[in-house]
Amino acid sequence: MIFNIQRFSTHDGEGIRTLIFYKGCPLHCQWCSNPEGISYGYSILYNQNLCKDFGECMATEKEAIARTNKHGIRIDRKKVTHPEKLIDVCPAKALTVSGSKLGVNDLLHEVEKDTPFYSHGGGVTLSGGEPLSQGEELTSLLRELKHKNISVNIETSLHVNWSQVERCIDLTDTFLVDMKHTDKDKFTRFTRGDAALVMNNLVKLTESAARIIIRIPVIPGFNHSEKEMKQIIDFIHSLNRIHTIHFLPYHTFGVEKYKMLGMKYIFGPEKPVRDDELTTYIHYAQSKGFQTKIGG
Amino acid sequence: MITEKQQTTLSKRISDLREKVLRAKPSVCTERAKFYTQIYQANEDKPVIVKRALALEKTLKKMTIFIDEGELIVGNQSSQHRAAPIFPEYAVEWLSREMDNLDKRPGDAFFITEDHKKELLKIAGWWKGKVLWDRGRANMSQELRDLQDAAIIKATGNLTSGDGHIAVDYPRVLSAGLEGYLQEIRYYHRQVKRYEREGVKKDHFYTALTISVKALRAFILRYHDLALSMSKHEINPQRKTELLTIAQNCEIIAEKPPQNFYQALQLTYFIHLSLQIESNGHSVSLGRMDQYLFPYYQHDLITGNITKDFAAELLENTWIKLLTINKIRPWSHTRFSAGGPLYQNVTIGGQTSDGKDAVNDLSFLILDTVGRMRLTQPNLSVRFHKNINNDFMMACMQVIEKGFGMPSFNNDEVVIPGLLRLGVEPQDAYDYSAIGCIEIAVPGKWGYRCTGMSFLNLMRVFLASLYDGLDRQSGKVFHKGTGHFRDFSSFEDVFRAWQHQIKYYTRKTVEIDTAVDTALEENVPDLLCSAFVDSCISRGKTIKEGGSKYDFISGLQVGIANLGNSLAAIKKLVFEDKVISKEQLLDALENDYEGEEGEKIRQLLLNFAPKYGNDDDYVDLLLRDAYREFISELEQYHTTRYNRGPIGCKYYAGTSSISANVPSGAVVPATPDGRKAFTPVAEGSSPSSGTDLQGPTAVFKSVAKLPTEKIMGGVLLNQKLSPATIRKDQDKQKLISIIRTFFEDLKGWHVQYNIVSRDTLLAAKKDPEKYRDLIVRVAGYSAFFTTLSPDTQDDIIARTEHSLTF
Repeated sequence: MIFNIQRFSTHDGEGIRTLIFYKGCPLHCQWCSNPEGISYGYSILYNQNLCKDFGECMATEKEAIARTNKHGIRIDRKKVTHPEKLIDVCPAKALTVSGSKLGVNDLLHEVEKDTPFYSHGGGVTLSGGEPLSQGEELTSLLRELKHKNISVNIETSLHVNWSQVERCIDLTDTFLVDMKHTDKDKFTRFTRGDAALVMNNLVKLTESAARIIIRIPVIPGFNHSEKEMKQIIDFIHSLNRIHTIHFLPYHTFGVEKYKMLGMKYIFGPEKPVRDDELTTYIHYAQSKGFQTKIGG
Repeated sequence: MITEKQQTTLSKRISDLREKVLRAKPSVCTERAKFYTQIYQANEDKPVIVKRALALEKTLKKMTIFIDEGELIVGNQSSQHRAAPIFPEYAVEWLSREMDNLDKRPGDAFFITEDHKKELLKIAGWWKGKVLWDRGRANMSQELRDLQDAAIIKATGNLTSGDGHIAVDYPRVLSAGLEGYLQEIRYYHRQVKRYEREGVKKDHFYTALTISVKALRAFILRYHDLALSMSKHEINPQRKTELLTIAQNCEIIAEKPPQNFYQALQLTYFIHLSLQIESNGHSVSLGRMDQYLFPYYQHDLITGNITKDFAAELLENTWIKLLTINKIRPWSHTRFSAGGPLYQNVTIGGQTSDGKDAVNDLSFLILDTVGRMRLTQPNLSVRFHKNINNDFMMACMQVIEKGFGMPSFNNDEVVIPGLLRLGVEPQDAYDYSAIGCIEIAVPGKWGYRCTGMSFLNLMRVFLASLYDGLDRQSGKVFHKGTGHFRDFSSFEDVFRAWQHQIKYYTRKTVEIDTAVDTALEENVPDLLCSAFVDSCISRGKTIKEGGSKYDFISGLQVGIANLGNSLAAIKKLVFEDKVISKEQLLDALENDYEGEEGEKIRQLLLNFAPKYGNDDDYVDLLLRDAYREFISELEQYHTTRYNRGPIGCKYYAGTSSISANVPSGAVVPATPDGRKAFTPVAEGSSPSSGTDLQGPTAVFKSVAKLPTEKIMGGVLLNQKLSPATIRKDQDKQKLISIIRTFFEDLKGWHVQYNIVSRDTLLAAKKDPEKYRDLIVRVAGYSAFFTTLSPDTQDDIIARTEHSLTF
């Protein structure tokens, strides 16, 4: 399932790229800025600012949706029986359903709209969610894109079984690998995942011919310290195979989406990380011979 | 190619002058009005053309002139910086009516003294009934006047001011000098056969031309005299030398071709200035300045006659001078070009006549100086082509980053083939320049108004097609329709109704233009402007009589995107999905979407119908087909110069309607695209605001589906750009790359960029519906600005001041 297709993306790989956001992720990073991409099923988003109290949604899902005392509605998401019936119900698009079942041909159609703009190194980037956790349809798409000579980048946490990575290697131009932390406990505490799985997969990936760019999200309270960042960079350096690191400073652009999804944003920091806070990390990475970039 | 780092600060001289002119309060100058009235009164027996020459002569010889402290380029349009002269021969009625409110206008206010008011009222009294406005209206049938009064077709600007929209033959002016022109006039004057009917007219024409060019010569010599006398009293030795140089420059260029860059620039400015004293049309443009001035610049650099810094100062001084020129328009017309711009275009880049990249060191210098000045004048256009120097494109991006909307790009790859198809000779097609805002012409060879004839309000026409021809706004049926929307059984009926109506209204725009052009030709012929346009002198004709080599014109069609979106909404939601009934739609339109039911309909129209600007063939092709109906009708007609000399004499479409989308929208009731009554319609060929949700590449694709090769009056596309999209060099390269794709592969016509400002973001926070297209682009993340939390929005707004984020 896809939750967004964004054309003219300029920070996720070379050139002008169309980003396909896959729905569903095995990790639950507390700072996640695309929370609608975590669940593998439909997600219901509600933007009260756009709500005109037409009531069409209540008519569709009587049990789950009720009017509040004032303006707007309250959704009991557990009681929504058929989220797909809510698609296109709200005239004002205050209530929307995230997730579309787009087939390979639908995706190709969207991707090829921008083909003229992909010269100068652009193409498609698969993102999410975690694209590698998708099933067979992912490889079908990759094969078609390869066949059409459209460059593919995959943005991944590598928090998947190795076989899910391996099947994509020959079909992918560049892996944009999120390297969040090397510390097992911290990784688990903040993402509910396993750092070792990521690191092992990265080691294996470096043994293949895949082109890899590492992306480190710089997250306050998680890895935003000289010591931790050095550990991460040292680990990447020890692989002796990677040339480029992108630092992605923490931002809060996703916070409102939690509210719209009826989710709680439990992560603390309210202030985004400024570019100038990254100076020492960049210097350190450069001293180890890496090319660096802020923001991808 | 020299691309060394440019100096980034202005010299004290330039920054002082800049400040002074920016501080100058626009006012009204009565001198020109007074001189023209005196001459017209004293010479009632003479032909119009001679009266006008004598009036111009008197003005150029008697008007106040001055040289401001520190100025290197001299010449003033009126008695003070930014004082607008009055052109009573075009229209006076508006002036008497609006005089007391000139300084109270919400925008473009003009200061006027009580004495001047009295003087102007007296002048206006004499002109009553004799002006262009009266004659033009008299040329029209009642029907045409009604169409204008109903504000469906608008031609006010054309009847209250001169034509403008032209660039004269600067290369020839510089090589021949004024004496060259006087010789040529004398040569042809001698050959006039006075025993023929045409001979009488030609005799008057050459007499008038001689008076006018000699008057210009006298005007330039007055600055020689002034500079010389000022130098005698000047204590500062440096300034004394400067004044002597100015005097010497003026003495030479009053007669002879300029001998260096400084003189060439000064003469160019004098010619440009004099055209704007003679007539008050806007968009008088300077053509390809980097081409015709380059030989002088290069020669002076090689001989050590000039430094690059001094040349930059001269250019900067010229840009300030352009800003001192001002025009006052009736309020009704002012709203169509808000901000009082004169659209004095300078074009750089492009190709040479043999198809090579024409970018040179002067192109860079003009770009950099305009970028440093950050003024509203000149309007800088860059001619893009596939072999354009990439360093130059990078330099353009650096100027765009400053956020004042310049330069804008025209595309050789579509314009030149378009010109060739029209029958323009190759060497001329390769020499085109932008005129005014984005429209194009071959400088020095083209008549007036390659665009800017009447404005057609497309959405009023569209609404009339739903109501069997009834224009609900005026209550009139101008053209009986094919039926009422409630009786239509398919979308084809809607389209047929549109075809039926648009053919009528298209013909009416041409009828109005013909009435206007006839009045302009007979009542306000321009002499200087004709003198400097090929082949007026040899033919013995003014431009309006058919003197120019080429003649193609265009009106402006306003509401392009709304037309496509309305058609698509009706097709999809009424006839295909049947979620809105015909009655519901009509009710909603008539009640301006009031009430809950109305609002629901509006939301459906907004959110569930395809919108132009998202690369969706459904709507894009409907719009293309609907617009083609207008174009195919238009192509049948000719201008008033047909069979009188010029190549062409035809119309093409045009969308470079500047700020006309606001007043045009103000007379349009609710439309089926979900637009509320009397709110602005979409601007130029750009998508309706807030409806392009797929980003710039999708907008490019949509715009490119328009029949751009037929819209030679300009396919205006404004794009919003967030500061971060252009902050780093790699971002600039990406922007260049999509511009290249738009122009080279998709054959886009034009694009210009507005950097999203703090104000825009504040507005978006307050009114999210209108700004749904602002996309936040951060790695691995997707969202629109309007869906961010208020805190995050505030954070972005705070940082946008410093162009740091998003």
